[in-house]
Amino acid sequence: MGTPVRSLTRRRLRNDLPPSHLRLPDLGSEALAGLLQRPGRSALTLLGVILGIGSFVTIVGIAQTASGQIGKQFNVLQATQAYVFDVGAAQSSAPALDFPPNADALADRIHGVVAAGVYWPVRFKQAAVSAYASGFLASQRALPVTAASPGLLAAAGVKLVSGTLFNQFHETHAQNVAVLGESVAAGLGITSLEGQPAIFIDGQPFTVIGIIASSQRLPQLGVGVTVPESAALRLWGPPTQERAQMLIHTTLGAAKVVAQQAPVAIRPDNPTLLKGAAAPSAAQLQRNVSTSLNTLFLILAGIALVVGAVGIANTTLVAVLERAGEIGLRRALGARPRHIGIQFLTESTALGLFGGLIGASLGVVTILAITIDRHWTALLDPRIVIAAPVAGAVVGLLAGLYPALRASVLEPADALRR
Amino acid sequence: MADGSGETPASRAGTPVGRGPAGAPVIRLSSVAYTYRGPPPVRALKPTNLVIYRGEHVAITGPSGSGKSTLLNLLGLLDKPTDGTLEIDGIDVGAAPERERAAVRAHRIGFVFQSFHLLPYRTSIENVMLAQVYADEPRRRRPAAAMAALAQVGLAERAHALPTALSGGERQRVAIARALVNRPSLLMCDEPTGNLDTATTHELTDLLESLHRDGTTLVVITHNPTVAGRAQRQIAIRDGQLTEHPPNGDTGAFPDS
Repeated sequence: MGTPVRSLTRRRLRNDLPPSHLRLPDLGSEALAGLLQRPGRSALTLLGVILGIGSFVTIVGIAQTASGQIGKQFNVLQATQAYVFDVGAAQSSAPALDFPPNADALADRIHGVVAAGVYWPVRFKQAAVSAYASGFLASQRALPVTAASPGLLAAAGVKLVSGTLFNQFHETHAQNVAVLGESVAAGLGITSLEGQPAIFIDGQPFTVIGIIASSQRLPQLGVGVTVPESAALRLWGPPTQERAQMLIHTTLGAAKVVAQQAPVAIRPDNPTLLKGAAAPSAAQLQRNVSTSLNTLFLILAGIALVVGAVGIANTTLVAVLERAGEIGLRRALGARPRHIGIQFLTESTALGLFGGLIGASLGVVTILAITIDRHWTALLDPRIVIAAPVAGAVVGLLAGLYPALRASVLEPADALRR
Repeated sequence: MADGSGETPASRAGTPVGRGPAGAPVIRLSSVAYTYRGPPPVRALKPTNLVIYRGEHVAITGPSGSGKSTLLNLLGLLDKPTDGTLEIDGIDVGAAPERERAAVRAHRIGFVFQSFHLLPYRTSIENVMLAQVYADEPRRRRPAAAMAALAQVGLAERAHALPTALSGGERQRVAIARALVNRPSLLMCDEPTGNLDTATTHELTDLLESLHRDGTTLVVITHNPTVAGRAQRQIAIRDGQLTEHPPNGDTGAFPDS
């Protein structure tokens, strides 16, 4: 053949022959078909990623939800609050009071204390509060009676409606005086403090000297009867089942230090009888517990994710070896090495993406189940829900790199022989 | 091979083929050789000159290990020659980058394999359409073209059957449809009847012959003397060396050394 023909032919070919292609829709459908070839294996491969991503989402969601709960409870009121518990008689059921009579004054000496007071609930066998002397049983009410030191009323931040609160004088002389909650007073028919109305607690007369609206820190005071600690001790003795405790109103930020110092300040002779705690102890405990648990679970989720990645890598590698004939065929049909590589990479990435999607969904469902069970408000950053499938896809992509490379460098002639 | 080369197949005499006006070379091998890298290096194909013209039907025969597969891999651009130049449609593709070789495979060469190489989870038409993916045929045009290719091999009614539901002969016809769908310059058949019984072999040989009559350039590698006998040209390969029966002047294969 002559040179002109050859060059003509060459030009035609070079111009007419487009490079072989693997368009995006084809890549998608080929990769999907590859995954669906072995649906069972693909599903099993997904498990690791599902577990990893699912536990990540669950842990993050629960942590966010829990911190939301703590945030709800942890307000300024509680940030300026400390407790001292009477733990000296923890083992015995005998009546005991380990707070000295001057506990309020001792606590007041601690730096950062605004007000402090001791209180305990007084329990009676039957409803004991009445506006009348004994005999009118029907008029007796089951109202909570609290024995309190004068300092407690200040520390609890009660709001006075009328009259006055009992003070150190009433305390020192163990006088039978009482402060009533507003609704309690109305229920007992006491509308005015003029004429010094009296009530009977367990048959003992008490003069009502004050009516309070509510207490921010001890709401039970607003719906019950509060009497001086000394009077309660004289009439009914020290607390039995529910021990006394001290409520301390502190300046902001001092609660923790005050809680540590209070037992020593109040009972220098035997501080172990008392135990201080900064509010909110329960929430703090929960946070501490959940932090260490979270770390553990995050590590486990990370391990699950790594196992998932290894699973994807292994499955994809097996698929490459198993589908060598298919790879050879595709190369014979015009696929370039990169087309082969990208197809397997897409398959592994899709596996990771599906695993991430399912895992994120299961994680959200788990969070909802837990929060509904605990009556919490579920909190989850939507970015986590979006990031989870992306993370799964990245895991799949990384896991597929080596198998995809292996597939792309396979010689077509070798591949077709397998 | 000896049986096939001696006689002149009837079909060949009556078939107007070969070097007509369109009889430009499809494949030209100049001193092409192939050596498997060792150790020890094995020369699978000795330096070879070979020209195959458009519209020809060429059979390549030889015992196992003779270099048949090596030759097929070179002709089909599945492997690169270690020496010499290989031209397809006038383009030197022997040493061309993979990007160009892949394009030639996609558009110019159709492959038919002994083991069919059909994807088992795809229907006949889906298997055929796979060839159109890399040739960049627009998606909406694929089903019609694939159906036409299946009709060409007489399998239109089995278009939606899975390979597992097809007989061996039908599977090979699907594979031929897949090889034809991009209208290649060259149909490369590697033992196309190797897995088929005698009756089916006859059917398939008839099909190949009809494709040849319609102008397809065929290169058939085969053990089967009957299949080889249907070709216009028979080239034998032994120990990496090609001989043509009957010797075919300037255009045929001849030892280079």
